[in-house]
Amino acid sequence: MAGNGIRIERLSKRYGEGDTAVFALKEVNMHVAPGEVVGLIGPSGSGKSTLLKCLGAVIEPTAGRMTLGDEVIYDDGWSVSDLRALRRDRIGFVFQAPYLIPFLNVTDNVALLPMLANVPNADARSRALDLLGALDVRHRANAMPSQLSGGEQQRVAIARGLVNRPPVILADEPTAPLDSERAMAVIRILNEMARSFETAIIVVTHDEKIIPTFKRIYHIRDGVTHEEAGEGRAY
Amino acid sequence: MKRPILHRRVLVLLAVVVPLAGLFGYVALRSGPLAPVAVTVAPVESRSLAPALFGIGTVEARYTYRIGPTSTGRLLRLSVQVGDHVIAGQVIGEMDPVDLDKRIAAQASTVKAAEAALREAQQRQRYASTQAGRYARLYEARATSEENAATKRHELRIAETALTAAEEQLARARAEQEVLLAQRADLRLIAPVDGLVAERTADPGSAIVAGQAVVNVIDPGSYWVNVRFDQVGAAGLAQDLPARVVLRSRGGQVLHGRVLRVEPMADAVTEELLAKVVFQTLPEPLPSVGELAEVTVDMPALPAALVIPNAAIRREHETTGVWQLMERGLRFAPVRLGAADLDGYVQVAAGLERGDRIVVYSEKALAAHHRVQVVEHIVGAPR
Amino acid sequence: MISLAGRDILHVWGKFVFTGVGLGLLIGVTLVMAGLYRGMVDDGKVLLDNSGADLWVVQRDTLGPYAESSSIHDDLYRTILAMPGVSQAANATYLTMQVRKGASDVRAMVVGIAPGSPGVTPGWPAYLVAGRQITRGHYEAVADVATGFQLGDRLTIRRNQYTVVGLTRRMVSSSGDPMVFIALKDAQQAQFLKDNDAIWQERRRTAADLELNRPGASDMLVTVNALQVANPYVNAVLVTLKPGHSADAVAESIRRWKRLTVYTRDQMEQILVGKLIATSAKQIGMFLVILAIVSAAIVAFIIYSLTMDKIREIAVLKLIGTRNRTIAAMILQQAIALGVIGFAVGKISATFSAPVFPKYVLLIPRDSIAGFLAVLAICVLASLVAIRIALKVDPAQAIGG
Repeated sequence: MAGNGIRIERLSKRYGEGDTAVFALKEVNMHVAPGEVVGLIGPSGSGKSTLLKCLGAVIEPTAGRMTLGDEVIYDDGWSVSDLRALRRDRIGFVFQAPYLIPFLNVTDNVALLPMLANVPNADARSRALDLLGALDVRHRANAMPSQLSGGEQQRVAIARGLVNRPPVILADEPTAPLDSERAMAVIRILNEMARSFETAIIVVTHDEKIIPTFKRIYHIRDGVTHEEAGEGRAY
Repeated sequence: MKRPILHRRVLVLLAVVVPLAGLFGYVALRSGPLAPVAVTVAPVESRSLAPALFGIGTVEARYTYRIGPTSTGRLLRLSVQVGDHVIAGQVIGEMDPVDLDKRIAAQASTVKAAEAALREAQQRQRYASTQAGRYARLYEARATSEENAATKRHELRIAETALTAAEEQLARARAEQEVLLAQRADLRLIAPVDGLVAERTADPGSAIVAGQAVVNVIDPGSYWVNVRFDQVGAAGLAQDLPARVVLRSRGGQVLHGRVLRVEPMADAVTEELLAKVVFQTLPEPLPSVGELAEVTVDMPALPAALVIPNAAIRREHETTGVWQLMERGLRFAPVRLGAADLDGYVQVAAGLERGDRIVVYSEKALAAHHRVQVVEHIVGAPR
Repeated sequence: MISLAGRDILHVWGKFVFTGVGLGLLIGVTLVMAGLYRGMVDDGKVLLDNSGADLWVVQRDTLGPYAESSSIHDDLYRTILAMPGVSQAANATYLTMQVRKGASDVRAMVVGIAPGSPGVTPGWPAYLVAGRQITRGHYEAVADVATGFQLGDRLTIRRNQYTVVGLTRRMVSSSGDPMVFIALKDAQQAQFLKDNDAIWQERRRTAADLELNRPGASDMLVTVNALQVANPYVNAVLVTLKPGHSADAVAESIRRWKRLTVYTRDQMEQILVGKLIATSAKQIGMFLVILAIVSAAIVAFIIYSLTMDKIREIAVLKLIGTRNRTIAAMILQQAIALGVIGFAVGKISATFSAPVFPKYVLLIPRDSIAGFLAVLAICVLASLVAIRIALKVDPAQAIGG
């Protein structure tokens, strides 16, 4: 994916009106380049989730500007009409809990997204299997989610986030349920994927184990972000 | 691509759904209007039929003697009980004579008085005759007057008349005596024939009106059955046909008899013919008079003809016929029926050929468009 | 695109199938209810069909012989037979009573059929499933298989014993009691003649009445007693018409000239279906409505709970970009699949259980098709609630926080 990854400028989100108005985000700026993995860190109630939801086009910001690749998708209002297609095709999600669809097997969980985008079933499945291979869970391709270990589930979830080759992946506490070894493995995978697919990855976390691995970290507190350089430690 | 886990699930689900679908298909096709109608089929046969008539009747005695007094009176004694055998002439009872014996005694006296009067008249006549003879001779000798002689002849004729009167008087008295004696004899109740006392309706001391029966005597040898046959189908009932009689009290026992006569008068109200059937040999013990009897009269066997079971006969649009099983489906064949027997077979006069296959039993009323399924016997119908 | 509904059903198939079977039994009960109503209507119709009559001549101003009692002289048929247009006229008696066989008894409608022959005289059983028609004028019976009697059984009806010589099927009264056919004269006796004790008491009463038992006129008592056991009455005269004569015209002329009440087939059906079972029909209708509501509630609840179990998955699906249409289709397909399974189970269970019911249950395809459409409609309606909830799910729920 060519372009600029994801960029937000002066993005604000206000809940409520008038006197009771609360600003969850105040003129936030952020930029993640393709192939880059950045951390987004902040305590509970800092606006972290709100930012993630705005980035994921799940809730609408109040003001600001958001650019995905070369396209401005928000400029004091959505400039794309089908947010769901936007999410489906251009944003990948990896959740704290994997939230796999329990009644679909591993392959179909991953293949579902391309299928929803009307990719033929066989193509979608082969694409999913390739990804599962890359993530080293291909041997569980026919298993149901309930039969997987936590790490396997998380890898399948990452595969699902990646399957449509989105320019941006939003990962919400992807390592929270994992021990440090597996958490590191996830970080390694995310970094590898970011490199190989030119994807901009934002990892929301407060997992002390993985924070040192980021090269760049956005801290968020009371709706305001500030950027700092991370340790960039090896994983 | 292999997906064993899904496959197993699919298999399990199929194991549930396929029988369900199969059952559903079975249910849809095998019940309701799409289902074929189960029928049983029989060929039209040619054979001889022995028709019979069935009727019910009561055992009756042909002769019943109702014995009672000819005049009103009181019963003095009755010496027989119900069930006693009596012989002809046997005195079985007597009415109270009341004053009859006294009157007979008085009449005897009257007769004797008349006899005495007769003897007196005879004496007078003899004397008058003697006197008349003597005076006639005296007159011939002119020893007396003509007048005297005439007087004596006159006296003789009076004496002769008196004698005649006395004779008649005696005859009358005797006749009256006989009347009384006859009346006396009539007070005795006498069995007219050998028989059996079937009923005793009064006891000594009862007042009986003239003509009322005191005792019914029946002749046990004259038992017959008074049978009623429905007029429908009673053609051919005739004298001397053999009959089988089953008494209500003796269910399993068949008694043989014959038709003695068919009554010329039929019952117009009940639409029945009446006939009398006599036993070939009287059953022992004797049946009770009035007992119900079922009578089957066997008619002569008919020459062989086409017959069908009466269960096959149907009615379609005012036409009597049978359902014939053709190569393709059903055909309603109108038929003309003939004689029937009691076992449920009917002659076919026209409409069918020998060997035609006809529907005997069916699960429901048939129509020409029905699909049929030939079975041995209808489900739900035992045997 | 893969079928999300199908995959979900495969995932929870046990729950799904058992729910379907449960719903199916409920639908089966509903179908049986409808079948009961059809059966009642059919009972009335087969009663008329089996009598083989075009007209019913009954006592004046009665709804006889089935819906009310009716009594007419048994020689009236002769005058009716002489009316123009009448092909056959036959006496018939109907008496619902307990028919004894040994120690047990069965409720049955005893039908007296006029002497004649099957296929000609109206009133005779139209078809048999075993045995033969009555051939003797007395003491033979043709019974419906529903009585449980078998060929050769000896039945007791009042004072007399009857031998079962034939068996019929679906010969029932309008209230569903199986019929027992016996000869008319026997039936007249059965209808009128009392038990022996009653006869003795009647004779004693007559003997005690000085008007009827005058001294010196001893024969009078015999005559009176004979008169008391005579029963020259029947319940109806069944009439068939010659071809080409209208039932209404012949009925009108009998009404006018014989001063009797006459019903045509249509009027009889009105009486039996319209009047006799009207209340029962309403009752069954009420039950049908209740069952439909209960079924709808069950489907709605099941689909609702299946959807609620999946609310998080739905949020995820929405988050990753699934269209509303796809989600709604998933729920709708599940509801319809549930309905189809339910209907199949219901139809099967109704068909197999129908013969077990003591009253006749007639399942007709029209009802089944209507039932199927109703089930589908109910399922679609019931899924609307769940669909509404699913569409309201906020995809942001999947992100948490």
